[in-house]
Amino acid sequence: MNLVQFFPLAVFQWCQHTAIGAYVEHSTWVFAITETIHIICLSILLGATLLLDLRLLGKGMTRESIVTLSQTIRPWIWSTFVGLVITGIVMFNSEAVKMSRNRGFFLKVIFLLLAVLFQLTIHRRVTSSNKSEGSGSAKLAATLSLCCWLGVALAGRSIAFF
Amino acid sequence: MLELIKWLNEVPISVWLREMPYPFPIIETVHILALGASFGTILWVDLRLMNVVMRDRKVSDVVEQLEPYAIIGFTAMFLSGALLFLSEPIKAYGTMAFRLKAVMLILAGVNIWFFHRGIYTTISQWDRAKILPWQARFTGFSSLLLWLESSLPAAGPLTSNGVSEL
Repeated sequence: MNLVQFFPLAVFQWCQHTAIGAYVEHSTWVFAITETIHIICLSILLGATLLLDLRLLGKGMTRESIVTLSQTIRPWIWSTFVGLVITGIVMFNSEAVKMSRNRGFFLKVIFLLLAVLFQLTIHRRVTSSNKSEGSGSAKLAATLSLCCWLGVALAGRSIAFF
Repeated sequence: MLELIKWLNEVPISVWLREMPYPFPIIETVHILALGASFGTILWVDLRLMNVVMRDRKVSDVVEQLEPYAIIGFTAMFLSGALLFLSEPIKAYGTMAFRLKAVMLILAGVNIWFFHRGIYTTISQWDRAKILPWQARFTGFSSLLLWLESSLPAAGPLTSNGVSEL
């Protein structure tokens, strides 16, 4: 499965012909710098999610309350997420046509959508109250969130191999 | 040094890692996940030492709760990294990016060792302090800087095989 099965190829060609796409495609350093920012954002985001999920699982940071910890961490999650999406779009535009046929990229998009979906629903609910301490739904939310973000990272890594 | 690297390149495990299709991507995946676990947890300790997050929490609380994960992550990252290096020693040794990264990583290790041996031994005196001792702030800042810098060469055309396309 890949993206080009769901969207017309013209969409990807257009992406690649946008000013950003064309510029990045022909510049080695812009891509490298963008990718570096992307990786730094990803590490911070994964670290932040890991911390919160460990807390929900009762495996780490147990001296902090769920709500306080999630309030501390949430801004970091969303700001690095924005950074990831922006740098991601820049890189995608530079090789949109190639990515549209890449199975790894397709998987990554799916995991990303799932991760965001869980983050905004179950995850948000269990982190908004300390009553979810040790509950099944807190553990489920943490496990799902960890799996989705791992999926994003692994599928992202697999892009190079497809 | 180059002789040693050349010899490493011909060790059976090095050849095996290089020529089989699966070991490299699998080890690299482990490496990246371990990097996430170590950087992701060390980051919060650094930010606490710099007084950016969790200011109302005791420093020792943050350090103690995160350190086990940081140590596990770091160990896994180091071991998988050593295998990645072993898979193409000559190529890695020849890249400036790799050398930089190795130096930064060693400095990061030395940095945290000094922290534990030095200012952290008097933690009880400044655990809840409004302004942390400069050594603690410096540790947080330099550790963050070293980690970010050691991740820089990971991207782009500098590396042989890079953690690119993540």
